[in-house]
Amino acid sequence: MSANTSSDRDATPCAYTDYREGAAAEDLPATGEDATGLEADIWDALYGIEDPEMPISIVDLGLIYGVYLEDDTVTVDMTLTYSGCPARDMLTEEVKAEVAAVDGVDDTDLRLVWSPEWTVEMVTERGEQALQEFGLSV
Amino acid sequence: MRRTRDPSVETSGDEAGATCPYCESTNTVREHPKGPSLCRSMHYCHGCEQPFEKFE
Repeated sequence: MSANTSSDRDATPCAYTDYREGAAAEDLPATGEDATGLEADIWDALYGIEDPEMPISIVDLGLIYGVYLEDDTVTVDMTLTYSGCPARDMLTEEVKAEVAAVDGVDDTDLRLVWSPEWTVEMVTERGEQALQEFGLSV
Repeated sequence: MRRTRDPSVETSGDEAGATCPYCESTNTVREHPKGPSLCRSMHYCHGCEQPFEKFE
């Protein structure tokens, strides 16, 4: 690396990627506890999706960072436990399909986000209980 | 040649024992940093003599 680039403090791993900070980790994950109407139906659909390796809802696992409803279009922000998660396509496709199947939803947009990064802290209390019962220490 | 440890093996429960999900004992050892999936490590509980996994 040349002296010129190493002194560049704003340098990012990839020059072609737009890096943005996500919401504060303490405000996450989103669980939709205050959701009503169509939004509540969408959360119900998301709660119905389980992790392929453990009997825990992806919402309780803390993968969902936000659900935004604009007219009939739903935008779901979600993350994965690892960027190299082998269940990536399986989970994103299932989320898109389940949300699109909710009555009243016209369009579904899924944004895979990586900031803030997922940690075990994102698992909800109910999720911890589910994992414990499954025989997994959290 | 790799000079630093692969960061993917840095899982918890090595120094301090993880809590056993069956008997809640912390008298446990980590047997392997990775389990059947990327986000699980393998442990053994001396309290109830059972193997268990920890979610990372």
